[in-house]
Amino acid sequence: MGSLVSLVSHKNSSEKIKDSISEALELAGFRFSSSVKSVVVKPNLCYYWDAATGYTTDPVVVGGVIDVVRERYGEDVDIKIVEADASAMRTKYAFPILGYEKLAREKGVKLLNLSEDVLLDKTVRVGKREISFKVPKLLLETDLFVNVPKLKIMRVTRITCAMKNVFGCIGFPRKFVYHEFLDEAIVGINKVLRPHVTVVDGLVALGRFPVKLELIMAGADPFSVDWVASQIMGCKPTTVKFLKIATKEKLGNPQGIFTRGADVLDFKKGFPKANFTSSRYWWGLQFWLLKAYGKLSGDVIPPIIEEG
Amino acid sequence: MRIKVAIVGLGRMGMLHMMNCLKMDGVEVVAASDQSKKALRKAKSAGVSKVYADYHELLNHSSEIDAVVISLPNFLHLDSARLALEAGLNVFMEKPMANTVEECNKIVDLVKSSGRKFTPGHSMRFMDAVEKMKKLEDKGVIGNVEVATIEEVINGPFAHPRVPTPVSDWWFDPAKSGGGALLDIGYHLIDLFRYFAGDASVVFSHLNYKLSLPVEDGAIVLLRSDSSTRGIINVGWYQQTIFPKLNFRMILHGSTGYLSSDDFVPHNLYLHALKVGSRNLARRIVGKKIRYLAYTYYYESYYKELAHFFQCIKNDSEPLVSAVDGLETIKIIHEAYEKYRSSL
Repeated sequence: MGSLVSLVSHKNSSEKIKDSISEALELAGFRFSSSVKSVVVKPNLCYYWDAATGYTTDPVVVGGVIDVVRERYGEDVDIKIVEADASAMRTKYAFPILGYEKLAREKGVKLLNLSEDVLLDKTVRVGKREISFKVPKLLLETDLFVNVPKLKIMRVTRITCAMKNVFGCIGFPRKFVYHEFLDEAIVGINKVLRPHVTVVDGLVALGRFPVKLELIMAGADPFSVDWVASQIMGCKPTTVKFLKIATKEKLGNPQGIFTRGADVLDFKKGFPKANFTSSRYWWGLQFWLLKAYGKLSGDVIPPIIEEG
Repeated sequence: MRIKVAIVGLGRMGMLHMMNCLKMDGVEVVAASDQSKKALRKAKSAGVSKVYADYHELLNHSSEIDAVVISLPNFLHLDSARLALEAGLNVFMEKPMANTVEECNKIVDLVKSSGRKFTPGHSMRFMDAVEKMKKLEDKGVIGNVEVATIEEVINGPFAHPRVPTPVSDWWFDPAKSGGGALLDIGYHLIDLFRYFAGDASVVFSHLNYKLSLPVEDGAIVLLRSDSSTRGIINVGWYQQTIFPKLNFRMILHGSTGYLSSDDFVPHNLYLHALKVGSRNLARRIVGKKIRYLAYTYYYESYYKELAHFFQCIKNDSEPLVSAVDGLETIKIIHEAYEKYRSSL
């Protein structure tokens, strides 16, 4: 497969975001199909931390995507901003807290909790593992599925962007159950759900700390987008486990990826890449030491940091 | 004397209180209640012999209990306090003492008529930094306190536990929570102001709703005490803070100098944990009692407030924090709510 990934530097105010998104889509060679009646836009609203933290998609970017879609298909197209409940996050709170209720009112679009949609059981095989998902029917039937992830590091998978945001579409809230085999699960759900296009919100990216990266990326293939995102985040894509598995499963092809627009290096140098203290090993070591200390001393470990 | 304790509510705070009680000399945790089966299993495995899914049932079987530690959602504080006090139990009540002035008044009356020990969980008075500042202020080292700025901006109910769990709905229902950041965190800060400056009234109040929730996520309140000390309270729920960080500070501006809590808290939390942890291990080796939770620096206050309460039961002395303190704090909070509403 493999495909084009575009990078656009967005240094302007929120008024110009539509232009940057249009430019990114054009550079990525994305062609809008002629007959689109329903559009689903999936931001990353993983928790209640706002866009300035780098954790969640900025409503400004989703607003820009809506404007681009409206420009192409007119006012009558049905647009829904969607998110599913997560282990610790409830969409009914994330929408107002993160500014999506306000955005929906301003743009005249609907908000939908994917966990409350009709959920279809889908089972896929990734390597030797069979994985089942509750998949929102809407995402399989919509005319245009726009994936709007964040660019950020994550302890478990090292990076998270386009493919991980598709994982967030799973309707079953306790997605924590997949964390033991998260890399396989990310690849699995991406076999079932294929966004038509991905627009990455890299205005604020999250490395060891949040940073204003002022980047909009776009691409039709989530695997290719993640490959480039990984390079920006200073992480060799061939060492990212879910990208390795996706390559093996022929979900993506690293050979055919090329970029257009701004230079990857321009963003890479500004990104606070992960180091040992932001890795799962340091995190694990801290808990191991704490547990050992608790056992030896008989001291109390606060429940908030207990394994459950 | 061995105090038999029941833990009512095993959420994050209740579970911590239970674990603390289990470590205390002369304290035995004999019962616990919670709606969560998982929490009850945990209590059982920790050695608590009787567990109940309903706190009413626990309080109806209280003949072998001396004291209860109540950590229920805010809207259940009055009901549980009434049942416990009427059953003749000593009560430690997690803050806020109750949601409204009316509810707090009822608790004050119940405490008086029961003759039992009662204390609301004003844990910040037991923080090491606050205790040190109180001692110095009492000695008069900064003269008269003219202005106190007290602030805490953290994540409130959005603290992300290691095992991802959704925030309970009652937090965002004003009828159940009683309020937002001002009631939850501001409660501590207003209590600290009263602790240092005495009774106070509200001069100005501004509430913030950045998170578009039905309850406030931030507040700035200007207080004036009867002794003319002014207090600036700045509280928020909107900041992403991760354990063990605590964005709290109190500065007392006196006529001859100032005291800042920043000078009394560890600057490097990892080094502090290492130092205190090593000291505790050494104490354990030589058979001495350790300082529980001191490695976290501020969680130790939860242990200390409970230990103090049980000591008061043993000695038949009055707790540092009374039901009237809880009532007066809630009065100020509701005055701040009212002042803000009338300014709109």
